[in-house]
Amino acid sequence: MIARRDVYQAIADPTRRAIINMIAAEPHNVNAIAENFDMTRQAISLHVKILTDCGLIAIKQRGRDRICEARLDQLSEVSAFVDQYRQHWESKLDSLETYLEKLKKERHGK
Amino acid sequence: MENESISTKNRELRLTRMLNAPIDLVWEVWTKPEHIAQWWGPNGFSNTITKMDMVPGGEWELTMHGPDGTDFLNKSIFREVVPFKKIVYEHPSYPNFIATITFQEQGGQTHLTWHMLFESEEVFINIVKTFKADEGQKQNVDKLETYLAAMK
Repeated sequence: MIARRDVYQAIADPTRRAIINMIAAEPHNVNAIAENFDMTRQAISLHVKILTDCGLIAIKQRGRDRICEARLDQLSEVSAFVDQYRQHWESKLDSLETYLEKLKKERHGK
Repeated sequence: MENESISTKNRELRLTRMLNAPIDLVWEVWTKPEHIAQWWGPNGFSNTITKMDMVPGGEWELTMHGPDGTDFLNKSIFREVVPFKKIVYEHPSYPNFIATITFQEQGGQTHLTWHMLFESEEVFINIVKTFKADEGQKQNVDKLETYLAAMK
């Protein structure tokens, strides 16, 4: 079975978010990324692989180096989802507003 | 990376609304169970409030009844209650968050802010994702309807 990887999975992990932040500032090779973390190079490679599978990292071969570049276009998908969730809460305020209007009418009507 | 623990931007939601009602009415509607039952929850839901003890540490139990008969029990704990100014409550189980609602009188109207701070970005992203999944299903039905309409 092939696990479907999506952008949420990519950013659900603090190490992966840190990796994205790091290479968004400047492309790094995997060794340089690993030096910044208290983890094995293998563990970092796995995170990089997940990020690559999700399309958040593109890897370019430069001589013997594999350079990781951030591909952040995908992340706008997340912010669009956050907006939808915000709308869900906005609608709670809408019903509060409607209810207040109804109450005001009822009380003034008396 | 250091900023991540300080900034809450990645796990919060902040809403503001100017309500065309005096602050005492808005406060009443927010703090009396019989009123809250009238406007809480998504469209098509009704609510039963079994407990609403508005003191710090007081419990709040609200059950939302979904249109399909499913009940959703929400248990929260009030953390801070300042009459006509501020309500802070915590949702201590998943999805863990702290909500802060502030009220401010402005010329007979009430400026309300609603801030939700989730325990972690993981919780926040998951809840957004879950919500999106629900929405996605609704949208699929919408799309099907549009598609069928176009075939007529």
